[in-house]
Amino acid sequence: MVLCILALPIFAVLGIFSLKYRKLTLEALDCLFKTATLRKCRSSLDDRTKAAMAGKALKFSPKAAGLVYRNYKIISWLLLIIFLWSAYEGSLGAYNYYKYGNCNGPSDTGLCLLDPTGSNSKISAIDIDTQTNIVYPFAEKDDPIIGSESAKLTIIEFGCYACPYTKKAEPIIKEVLEHYQGKVNLQFKTFYIPSHHMSYKSALAADCANEQGKYKEFHNLVFQWQDNISDDTINRIADNTGLDTKKFNDCIAKERYKSEVDADTLMGVHAGVSGTPTFFINKQKIVGPKPFRTFKSIIDEELKK
Amino acid sequence: MIFGYNVEKIRQDFPMLSKPIIYFDNACMSLKPMQVISKINEYYKEYTACAGRSAHRLASRVEEEIDKSRNEVKSLINARHSSEIVFTRNTTEGINLAANSIGLNNGDEIVISDKEHNSNLIPWLKLRKNGIKVVVAESNKDNTFNLENFRKSFTSKTKLVSIVFTSNLDGATNPVKEIARISHQNGALIMVDAAQSAPSMEIDARKLDVDFMAFSGHKMLGPTGTGVLYGKKELLENMEQFIVGGETVADSTYNNYKMEEAPMKFEAGLQDYSGIIGLGEACRYLKKIGLRNISEHEKKLNKAITESLIREEKISIIGPAEHEKRAGIFSFNIDGVDPHNAAKILDASKNIMTRSGAHCVHSWFNKHNLKGSVRASLYLYNTEEEAKIFVDEIKKIIKMEV
Repeated sequence: MVLCILALPIFAVLGIFSLKYRKLTLEALDCLFKTATLRKCRSSLDDRTKAAMAGKALKFSPKAAGLVYRNYKIISWLLLIIFLWSAYEGSLGAYNYYKYGNCNGPSDTGLCLLDPTGSNSKISAIDIDTQTNIVYPFAEKDDPIIGSESAKLTIIEFGCYACPYTKKAEPIIKEVLEHYQGKVNLQFKTFYIPSHHMSYKSALAADCANEQGKYKEFHNLVFQWQDNISDDTINRIADNTGLDTKKFNDCIAKERYKSEVDADTLMGVHAGVSGTPTFFINKQKIVGPKPFRTFKSIIDEELKK
Repeated sequence: MIFGYNVEKIRQDFPMLSKPIIYFDNACMSLKPMQVISKINEYYKEYTACAGRSAHRLASRVEEEIDKSRNEVKSLINARHSSEIVFTRNTTEGINLAANSIGLNNGDEIVISDKEHNSNLIPWLKLRKNGIKVVVAESNKDNTFNLENFRKSFTSKTKLVSIVFTSNLDGATNPVKEIARISHQNGALIMVDAAQSAPSMEIDARKLDVDFMAFSGHKMLGPTGTGVLYGKKELLENMEQFIVGGETVADSTYNNYKMEEAPMKFEAGLQDYSGIIGLGEACRYLKKIGLRNISEHEKKLNKAITESLIREEKISIIGPAEHEKRAGIFSFNIDGVDPHNAAKILDASKNIMTRSGAHCVHSWFNKHNLKGSVRASLYLYNTEEEAKIFVDEIKKIIKMEV
């Protein structure tokens, strides 16, 4: 009977392709039905499998074969438990992937078989110890907001202007803000990634652009030009956004907003951020350029609160 | 050593033996030599046509090949006339044909043994609704034929004896010549189920003086779906038809028909020509190797297996202990191991193909309160090395201590 439970879903899938397995599926189903209705299961599937396993073990030693033969029930129960556990984990993984874009949830960047390239979970990481005392980030009034100022919910994004995955998340965030127009806005906090060229300087530049009221324009253009980011590119972006380049360059040269940039990165570190992009929606964390549905699931939950 | 018997050379004729298997399920189905396979293909490649109907040359060729096959079978069992050979689909059909055509009447009695295959039991049990009584003659304790019990089974109403020649259950061969003599003395006809004998025993139907004898092609190197019912000419001529239709009549009107002569009157509809032609080739092959040689070879292998396993406490042999009384069959149980499981283990561990279960002799197993047995049945292409591997595996199963 145990084997019938185990075999049923496997044979059912194989049965789509093969008549042999269709017959075995019916046999397993019949056995399961009879057991459920407190009748004797007459299937010999258990016996056949037991003998086949013992036969294979006999190639090595009669003792091993005897062990398999005598303890077959225990073995099949163990297999059933492993199967059910795997089925549960598998289903949970599939559910998480569907809902959060990663088998292990929205804040995970580990391997997910349903996303083998890891495109939803790639981040630009820094080498940092895991934080044990998490201090959740919050929106600061003196930092610029993208989207409606009066929105009920603010997404805090820790990103880097030189990070390709932060760039990848940009259209997704735009879609989110458009979908939840008036209800959700975004505060982008620069998170310094030392290994990225121009990471720090572009963060300073964004604050300098904000000084002249051109933050959103600068923010968008930096991502557009990300592949060729350099001092020269930043100057051209400043030109294109109509910034006073003299004042702008002076601001960067004097590192006027160094303390803000450092404070943003530090806020991220305290919040347990280890790479970009990382998003916080209240206390819910999303790591990597997760798909729209991930944000939607969490935002819908948070808006209900 | 059997003079001139080269098992390795024989094996080369069997394409199935190129696979890594040990085939010990010959009592159920024999493998086919290339000669038979080619002969079957020859019909489809070179002269596909109807026999006995069309007049063209292809039809004549088929007719000629069918006649040759009938003669091969006739010569294999030393029948008097080729018209005594009726082609059927298998032993079962042959027995059913006889059961329904001999002309048994209400009150008649039939004697069978207690070791009959369902094919030689059910056709007779079915006749009970016509008032025919089936009497079962019990075997000796070692499963050999008990002539005394058999003699006691006769009454004045006994019209027919239907007995297995070599039992598929345990390989024990019944004294058919003596059984036939006693049957005739008592005014009864005798029918023999020779399904296990025809493949590996010299059979002389005339010397045995049996009235009917049925056997299958698929157990004697021939194709599946072929079989033979032998019947004495004068008996066949006077018998009712069984299945009627095309080829069984010489002429017909809307009100009547004129029966064909035997064997045609029993071979209704279009026959399995390629199969019958293949069966003829199988007979030729068996004669070339020599049935006496085959029989000796089987006994030699059975001796090796029996002597290696008979002293194992956990092994119980079905049938007589002496290997020479069990032809090429070694039917057994291992204490504590379900026979189906034992057969499956043999398959999984060393690719040994055996039969397990009741072997269609449910009545015997029910009577003895046994679930079944494992049956290793040997044939002309099996080797001593295979027998040794089989023995070793059985010993390993015993060591599993289940």
